[in-house]
Amino acid sequence: MSKEKLIDVNDLATYFHTEEGTVKAVDGVSFEIYPGETLGIVGESGCGKSVTSLSIMRLIESPPGKIENGEILFNGKDLTKLNQKQMRKIRGNDISMIFQEPMTSLNPVYTVGDQIMEAILIHKDVSKKEARQEAIDMLTKVGIPLPEQRVDEYPHQLSGGMRQRVMIAMSLSCDPQLLIADEPTTALDVTIQAQILELMNSLKRQFGMAIMMITHDLGVIAEVSDRVAVMYAGKVVEYADVKDLYGDPKHPYTWGLMYSIPHIEKDLERLEAIPGNVPNPLNFPEGCKFNTRCQFATDKCRVDEPELEEVEEGHYSACWHVDKLEEQKAKQGRG
Amino acid sequence: MISYIVRRLLILPIILIGVTLLVFSMIMMLGPYERLSTYIKDPAELKNVDVDVLVTKLGLNDPWYEQYGRWISGVARGDMGWSESAGSTVTQAFLSRFPATAELGLLALLPVVVGGVILGVFASVHHNDFWDHVSRVLAIIGWSVPTFVFGLIMLMIFYGTLGWFPPSRLDSWALDIVNSAGFINYTNFFIIDGLLNANFAIVGNAIRHLVAPVITISILWWAFIMRITRSSMLEILRRDYIRTARAKGVKENVVVYKHAVRNALIPVVTVAGRMVLGLLGGLVITETIFNIKGLGQFMAQAAQQLDYPAVLGGTLYFGFLLILINLCVDVSYAIIDPRIRLE
Ligand SMILES: Nc1ncnc2c1ncn2[C@@H]1O[C@H](COP(=O)(O)OP(=O)(O)OP(=O)(O)O)[C@@H](O)[C@H]1O
Ligand code: SF4
Ligand SMILES: [Mg+2]
Repeated sequence: MSKEKLIDVNDLATYFHTEEGTVKAVDGVSFEIYPGETLGIVGESGCGKSVTSLSIMRLIESPPGKIENGEILFNGKDLTKLNQKQMRKIRGNDISMIFQEPMTSLNPVYTVGDQIMEAILIHKDVSKKEARQEAIDMLTKVGIPLPEQRVDEYPHQLSGGMRQRVMIAMSLSCDPQLLIADEPTTALDVTIQAQILELMNSLKRQFGMAIMMITHDLGVIAEVSDRVAVMYAGKVVEYADVKDLYGDPKHPYTWGLMYSIPHIEKDLERLEAIPGNVPNPLNFPEGCKFNTRCQFATDKCRVDEPELEEVEEGHYSACWHVDKLEEQKAKQGRG
Repeated sequence: MISYIVRRLLILPIILIGVTLLVFSMIMMLGPYERLSTYIKDPAELKNVDVDVLVTKLGLNDPWYEQYGRWISGVARGDMGWSESAGSTVTQAFLSRFPATAELGLLALLPVVVGGVILGVFASVHHNDFWDHVSRVLAIIGWSVPTFVFGLIMLMIFYGTLGWFPPSRLDSWALDIVNSAGFINYTNFFIIDGLLNANFAIVGNAIRHLVAPVITISILWWAFIMRITRSSMLEILRRDYIRTARAKGVKENVVVYKHAVRNALIPVVTVAGRMVLGLLGGLVITETIFNIKGLGQFMAQAAQQLDYPAVLGGTLYFGFLLILINLCVDVSYAIIDPRIRLE
């Protein structure tokens, strides 16, 4: 990967200042994405995946939310320093986003054609008629049958899978360099999920954009990603190539997830993968945030917070005791 | 859209028949002799006749469906009997009083709905700042002061003390002009007729007389429509599709006015429909306080004088009006929300 980084997130921290206190939703997240690559971001519910992506889009609700620290370099330009007007030129154009809930992500009172055309008309210098034709072309590309008819239909006339296709068509209509997909398949049933993932993979080949794929489904990550960042309690705890991560996890949290999931297609949330609860973001533990659930935790873990370190080439882990994990793996004959 | 309206119109006759049956059953609760009174214009008519003969002649003892048939064909022709208190037929009495009420009602309704929505949207975008709190306080006051109290206070301050906004529809000099031969009464809406006759003194005078009653009748709804719009907007602005619009690079005011407002209007339409009903009730009080010779005042007087034909005729008219309003509300929903239109 000698190419220029497309996006380079450094030490990002996004807090919500609520009446109950400060929610450190994202607290020191770093990763980078290269052009045309897919980075998977995985973690349990509430670990800060969506807040990370909305921070990149600068769509954090403010107040209460605020980017407190860090930089988000996109093609070398720090997005945290842009004003909203400058950001609007990037949103939907250079970086676009699809969301988890296709049922509610489209405006019910406008036709899908209008909603796709809106993005095109904002960012491209085309006439309404041309925009409409582009919208129809996009609907064709995402595999919607009878696109000329569908373009004039309203979201409620389409199934969930079809709506997600419309969202994808909309997000790709201006040929973005980065597509952020925030759990794009979670709300869909399994067969539709597979179709959407396949569609995204083929569109990626066609359009050449990079994808930031957010999910809590390890199976999805394995299928589409080049590299993976595992998040826990607002931080990236492990970061590696997808093969290395699955073949040889270097963080007790990741290892716990995999150990408990012999068939990785399963959904993280439904399994009590690791005993204990995700810590409350209003009140994170001192030191390593995983120490309340970690079988290897020591006193050091309860005082000092480990930073991401390269434990093997291109494989990063934030843990004081990777060695203990290795011992355990050897003992169990797993690895 | 068209097919939706047609479907609505098709069920209209059924509802209309239901309303007439309801009113007719109220009529039938009166005995035949009491019902006879609706046919008598002058007590002198009764001097030389046998009342029982009249009852038989008019069929007031016939089976109910025959009477209903006769009554409904009369209603269809606009014949609802003689109103003692108006000294004319019920229909004439209504037609002559309708413009005053419509003028007041429309002036109370339209600015409130349009203005209330605009203020509500504004308040939602600036929620929790100073004006938001001001509007909340006004809404609470608006809700808690009854119309008759508020109307009397208005009358006391703006007529009694300041002399700005007099009661009734026009000053007497203006009435003389309106009733003179040179002034053509196109609609009997004084503002419109004044404009059509290019007599701006009349327009000005009509408006001056309308200020206090319009405020009285609509004050509560200003606040209400505004608060409903505000809370509806606040909820809609949190929806996923608003985030989608922003993620597309849509400008914030387009997000608000295009993507959010139309969705936020759906509950507002419901409230506006109920507001019309509320206005009908408020009319009686407001017209009475400000001495406006409209339908509300007429109905109140008719009820006091036990003028059955007028009361029942009024009930029927208001029933029809409500059906019409409901239709307007339903059509507005369909215009705003394709899910209703296409269901
Ligand atoms: N507007 C907000 N106000 C206060 N707290 C918030 C807000 N938005 C998010 N949070 C908090 O930030 C934390 C991270 O939320 P986030 O939505 O990023 O989680 P996630 O990893 O995307 O989870 P999921 O898998 O459920 O989507 C959560 O604890 C959440 O409660
Ligand atoms: S730092 Fe300590 S508590 Fe945290 S994961 Fe490693 S061993 Fe567990
Ligand atoms: Mg999320």
